[in-house]
Amino acid sequence: MDTQSLLAEAKAKFAHNSAKHYLQEKFSNKLLIAEQGGLWRADPNTINFLNCFDTETLVLLDIYNNPVEVNRTDLLNKLIEIYTKVMHEWHTEWKELETKR
Amino acid sequence: MSRGALLFAFNSSKVDYYAMAEYTAKRINHFLNIPVSIITNKDSIPNTTNYKFDNVITMSADDSNFFRDTVWFNKGRYQAYDLTPYDETLLMDVDYMVNSDRLLKVFEVMSDYACHESTAFMMVPDAAYELLGPNSFPILWATIIGFRKTKKSEHLFQCMKMVQQNYNHYANIYGFVPEIYRNDYSLTIAHRILNGHYPCIDEILPWNLMHIGLKTKVYPNFKDPLNTEFTIVYDNWKRNKIKKEYITIKDIDFHVINKDIFREIIT
Repeated sequence: MDTQSLLAEAKAKFAHNSAKHYLQEKFSNKLLIAEQGGLWRADPNTINFLNCFDTETLVLLDIYNNPVEVNRTDLLNKLIEIYTKVMHEWHTEWKELETKR
Repeated sequence: MSRGALLFAFNSSKVDYYAMAEYTAKRINHFLNIPVSIITNKDSIPNTTNYKFDNVITMSADDSNFFRDTVWFNKGRYQAYDLTPYDETLLMDVDYMVNSDRLLKVFEVMSDYACHESTAFMMVPDAAYELLGPNSFPILWATIIGFRKTKKSEHLFQCMKMVQQNYNHYANIYGFVPEIYRNDYSLTIAHRILNGHYPCIDEILPWNLMHIGLKTKVYPNFKDPLNTEFTIVYDNWKRNKIKKEYITIKDIDFHVINKDIFREIIT
């Protein structure tokens, strides 16, 4: 028996909340990046914070709370690149989920 | 600098852990592109096999861990430090389903060793973390332990040995029931001792260990042995009735707590 027949027979319903949770688990990890001696999350907070400065270097806390001196522009560009790529993939899978019933 | 994965597999009367290790090893080779060594006993090695581990390290199984009339061969994990052939090792449970290259990040983030503290249960978004004892702190999970050959890692595994050998004593101190030996508990206690009983986050992996828990079934969507797409069906109890719910997952690693479910997936 294939999975579609099995689901139909069991009258199983698609669990949107669980699927949403699974997607968050899957993609939030992909936003992590080890760069310039620290571990970073490519999230809006970090990107905005890096964008607030105009200095070449900056010291900020990585996700392990270690202060790391970074080249601001290089890290910013890298985080934007990761963020854009991962969020696009996340959105694509999310749209697929929305069509399921 | 050598890098590889290490699996422990001792067959019990009910579970063929060696077969599970072979299945997991093939996926590690494919998705992580690293070699896999196995620590096992001679009785577990099958006469014929189509998979060749990087190294097969044999030792006698410790059969002193009884629980519900079954022997659990999970003692001796502390020997991983001395027995690993690699400079950087991913020590893994054989029931961890590798579906992506996520675990390569462990090598990037760890300084001495790294393991999971936070967890998530597939289909149960609000599941609570497991605590070491009542009113205690969350446990660390020995499902995945990344480690380098450093002094601190060596001390971690020496501490795990100490906890295993004095398990009832630590159960008494931390207030858990010592009816079965768990590597998760010895890892948790060893990590605490090593860090001066301070909740140090430097060795904690910054993402959740995804569990497949009880009341859950897993169906591979394709027969391919390297399939990464699964349908998860969950018995959700509501108003004394079971409502079956499902989701489809793709390219995400997960740990299967129930060995029977893992065996069903691989057969």
